[in-house]
Amino acid sequence: MNGAVASADVDALPLPGRGIAIEAHTLTRRFGERLALDALTLRIERGASFALLGANGAGKTTFIRLVTGALLPTSGSLTVDGISPALRPAEVHARIGFVMETSRLYPEMRVRGFLRFMGGARGLAGAALVRAVDAALARFQLEPVASRLVGNLSKGYQQRVSLAQAFLDDPPLLIVDEPTGGLDPVQRREVQALLRGLRGKCTLLLCTHDLEEARTLATRVGVLHAGRLVAEGEPSELLGGADELALFRASVERAT
Amino acid sequence: MTALRALVRKELASLFGTPTAYLALTMVALVTALIFFDHLRLYNQILFVYASATMGGFATDSIPDYVNLWDSVFFPVMETLGLTLIGVVPLVTMRAFAEERARGTDELILTTHLTPGQIVLAKFGVAYLFVASMMAVSFLYPVMAIEQGGLGLEHLSAVYLGLVLHGIGLASIGLVCSAFTSSQLVAAISAWAIAFLLWDLSWASSFVGERVAEILDALSIQPRYSSFAGGVVSLANVIYFAGIALVSLAAARFSFDLRRVSG
Repeated sequence: MNGAVASADVDALPLPGRGIAIEAHTLTRRFGERLALDALTLRIERGASFALLGANGAGKTTFIRLVTGALLPTSGSLTVDGISPALRPAEVHARIGFVMETSRLYPEMRVRGFLRFMGGARGLAGAALVRAVDAALARFQLEPVASRLVGNLSKGYQQRVSLAQAFLDDPPLLIVDEPTGGLDPVQRREVQALLRGLRGKCTLLLCTHDLEEARTLATRVGVLHAGRLVAEGEPSELLGGADELALFRASVERAT
Repeated sequence: MTALRALVRKELASLFGTPTAYLALTMVALVTALIFFDHLRLYNQILFVYASATMGGFATDSIPDYVNLWDSVFFPVMETLGLTLIGVVPLVTMRAFAEERARGTDELILTTHLTPGQIVLAKFGVAYLFVASMMAVSFLYPVMAIEQGGLGLEHLSAVYLGLVLHGIGLASIGLVCSAFTSSQLVAAISAWAIAFLLWDLSWASSFVGERVAEILDALSIQPRYSSFAGGVVSLANVIYFAGIALVSLAAARFSFDLRRVSG
């Protein structure tokens, strides 16, 4: 069993700045016969907003699950702030905030109660916990729904709750999986505005299949296709003027 | 510890806040009450028969030793309670991990400071607390047994130690079944199957050789539980129940590692 990292240690965690936040080297993950990630080599610098683009099944979520330590790689290496999530998951968890898809919350809990629980689970207690919950409610404009059940909120609000829990202890790395999936255009714009507001405050790893989202939120973009990183660069250089189909076609052609 | 406390609080609120839990509590209370009053009625009828037979009055020395309040009423109640718990505990434990898996929140809480070992312990502790509250419903009957039936405190302690250990075993079996599936129904059915099978494995003794029969008898819960209910505390029986709990909780912890490998 890995010991949990004490909250005092979290204060000493690296702030966004120079250095490598995530480094994958020939990272491969198989599910039986299916190759979900194929020798992925990738570096994400601290403080960057990195969007991993790809169609459904391209391997984005598999990569996220490897970063959070929920999966072990079949081969290759992966480090978060120089620490292997496979070997020392607890230390990696102290460095990350994780935003899953909308429905992955506790619908029977009230918003404030849920944030208190997640804050406690992240090692916050007493006045620090109350301050963190109040700050998160204010930051993500959740005060009007603080006493409502999470399950009764709109998808847009649920996604804000998800973002709020990830930011309770101001982690240096925020991982966001499909943040606007299933949201209507208004909710999508709201969530994207919140994510834009976080740019530069932490390293952001964003997985999406939405080109526009990647263009507006990311400082760097990587394109995954069939588990392989087929293109990587600045959004303007990769996505500037290109439509979705042209981008994927060109990337895949380059890779094959 | 802060993270563990937060999880325990959340689990307590989640378990004690569901209608299923109170349905389970009511079921246990009703079944034990029905069994108690039914056996009490039978016991009274037997006493009446003896009283009538003496014609002139109630002669207690004519009643055989085996007709007493403990053997006729309280022992069957404790036996039924043990069996009732097998029926009810899986309903309480089925949600523990299966619901988290189905929702995907298991991966969310694993990105906090909580470790898999802490999650298993917290869920087990809270599930057991609920099982203990179901057992508390039965506390009235042994108290009456002390008052009316001459049951000693030593005997009562043995009965309750058996009940506590039985509950620990059942809660851990329920949890391990919940840890390997995302379906609450599968978790409950598999826990029932394992617990009922273990309750009386000796039924299969007549179909197998002597050696295997001995092993089956040794693995059976019922004779060990009855031994406690009869007032006998044996270290082997304590180790047996503790072993069930340890193996089950270790397997539940292992399920986390297995998921990291299998996805």
